[in-house]
Amino acid sequence: MKTARPMSVAGYLFVGPAMLYLGVFTLLPMVVAAYLSVHRWHLLKPDRPFVGWDNYRRLLEDPFFVNAIRNTVVFTALSVPLGIAIALAAAVLLNRGLPGIRVFRTIFYVPSVCSQVALSMIWIWVTLPHVGFVNWLVGSANALLGTSFATDVNYLQRFPMISVVLLFIWNGLGPRMVIFLAGLQNIPETLYEAARVDGASGWQRFRYVTLPLLMPTTFFIVVTTTIAALQIFTPIYVMTQGGPNRATDVVVFHIYKEAWHKFHIGQASAMSYVLFSIILTISLLQFWAMKRRSDMIAESA
Amino acid sequence: MRSEFERRHPGVRIQIENIPGEGQYVPKLLMMFVAKKAPDVMHLDASYASVFIDNDLLLDLTPEIKSDDSFRLDDYFTNVVDVARRGDKLFAIPLDFTPIVLYYNKRLFDEAKVAYPAKGWNCDDFLAKAKALTIDNHKEPGKKQYGMHFINWMPLWIPWVWTEGGDVLSPDGRHAEGYFDSDKTIRAVEFLASLITKYHVAPTHSEAAAAGVDLFRAGRAAMHIAGHWMIIDYRSDGIDFGVAMLPTNAASPKTVVYESGLAINRSTKKRELAWEYVKFMTSAEVQKVRVSGGLAISAQKEVAQYYASDEQERTFLNAVEFASGPWGARVEPYAVVEDLGREMMEDIVNGTPVPDAVHKTCRLIDLELSQQ
Repeated sequence: MKTARPMSVAGYLFVGPAMLYLGVFTLLPMVVAAYLSVHRWHLLKPDRPFVGWDNYRRLLEDPFFVNAIRNTVVFTALSVPLGIAIALAAAVLLNRGLPGIRVFRTIFYVPSVCSQVALSMIWIWVTLPHVGFVNWLVGSANALLGTSFATDVNYLQRFPMISVVLLFIWNGLGPRMVIFLAGLQNIPETLYEAARVDGASGWQRFRYVTLPLLMPTTFFIVVTTTIAALQIFTPIYVMTQGGPNRATDVVVFHIYKEAWHKFHIGQASAMSYVLFSIILTISLLQFWAMKRRSDMIAESA
Repeated sequence: MRSEFERRHPGVRIQIENIPGEGQYVPKLLMMFVAKKAPDVMHLDASYASVFIDNDLLLDLTPEIKSDDSFRLDDYFTNVVDVARRGDKLFAIPLDFTPIVLYYNKRLFDEAKVAYPAKGWNCDDFLAKAKALTIDNHKEPGKKQYGMHFINWMPLWIPWVWTEGGDVLSPDGRHAEGYFDSDKTIRAVEFLASLITKYHVAPTHSEAAAAGVDLFRAGRAAMHIAGHWMIIDYRSDGIDFGVAMLPTNAASPKTVVYESGLAINRSTKKRELAWEYVKFMTSAEVQKVRVSGGLAISAQKEVAQYYASDEQERTFLNAVEFASGPWGARVEPYAVVEDLGREMMEDIVNGTPVPDAVHKTCRLIDLELSQQ
């Protein structure tokens, strides 16, 4: 008992700065936002009455907020499975003892080191009509094959959601791939040897050895990627401003506009809480599914 | 000019704070007000003046004007001054302004043997000219010539609504019902949309975007609606252009005027000095230098006349008489209304029937106004 006290003091000292940070920059703002969300709080109006659930009730009547939720769901549903599948494929490809493999790992990681704003600017250029990279590719193909596909397509205007999804996947590829790589390297080689002895094909080894043993890693990536996708903001702000015609108006961008273009701080806080509830629910569901799965495995074992 | 002011007022230092980024000026400046760090003097643009005026952030300048014999409000264009007025209170002294007018490319008119826009022309005249100036290019559809370049930006197309006798909001600015969904407004929107969807004399948004150039500057659109700011580019491009009032179906032509003025922070601690600075910056002496670039027209009649050397410039000055300030100078959430208007036009071009789109947008505008 006597040694426990200094130990715990040291422990608190270690977590202290992090707790302070969490308290000041996360918990406190959450409490303040909860307070704001039940008040009509215009940035510049001195009159800030308590309105109860009114801000939340209004959200249901706001067709643009409903649209933002729908866009966010579509964005997440597209970008999470695709982003994870591509990262896993890249990790498997890069998890080989080839010479110079580290160079490739670095190259794949580079987009994640760049600022999202810079990446978004590059992505705008990629999608531009005539001078953009995609149209340049099409133009080169035309010249090579004698075809005449259009090179004046503004891909960002034509496929706004897909454009942003692709950027998100590209941007987040690095960290996801590295985590997958770490997971892959934790799988003992002996298991693959055993599988090989049993006559398992490459696909079977991936399906019955790699995937199940990678489950904890995959779970972590699914949860974090889902949260990141639900909170997408920067590329939307830089590339589309929610357009064309609100086709990419996602929840966080909508909140930003509500707060800083319309100055409806109370309304924006209510939106934040709705998004928070959605994220919390989805994350809890994911944890529940994961636990159910591991319970089933434990039972069958 | 800042150093000239500092020279004349020893011990005074003017610190200029620029706020870069499209659409960032208003939020940033408002945050400075909330944090009580707002500047003593600030630019106030007509398009968002209401946000500052109606939240009591600015000083009423009438006492200053009355007690200062060296300042004469009559030196400025009344219609421009009035943009920042509330009853007998005035919240900004205008620096410069531009009415929205119609530019036309004389060469394209001559080639098509179409007469230049005449005084008092109406929308039918306009459509006839636009049709005559539209040239389909069958060999290269991407190189079509348009009668008019259309930019879906509500601040530029609002005069079309006014000229049909329609409007966006009720005179008190409180609601849209009965105005934005009136027959006159619907007729105006229908006419505008038909230029793109029915007559194809103006490009759709994607056609214009795909061109990758400003169609008017490239000589591929014969007419364009814009403000004085475009004159710089047109002159440097060497375009032989004319300027006309927008066509009108009403008794007299109508247009909108955008102005920019200087306002004083209500809680400034240097009231006299701030007024001196506003007076100095809006004076004829400084204005002469300020507007020499051609971005806008000086709100000082004397300076404006000084630069009105040619026919184009004179058309701008004549337009002032028929111009009124934008709703944004009087209605706080008007920026949101303008976004809704742009989205409505996009929907219409994409196939939504005009009455449906107008009624839907009207409801959304009223929903927005009710949240204030």
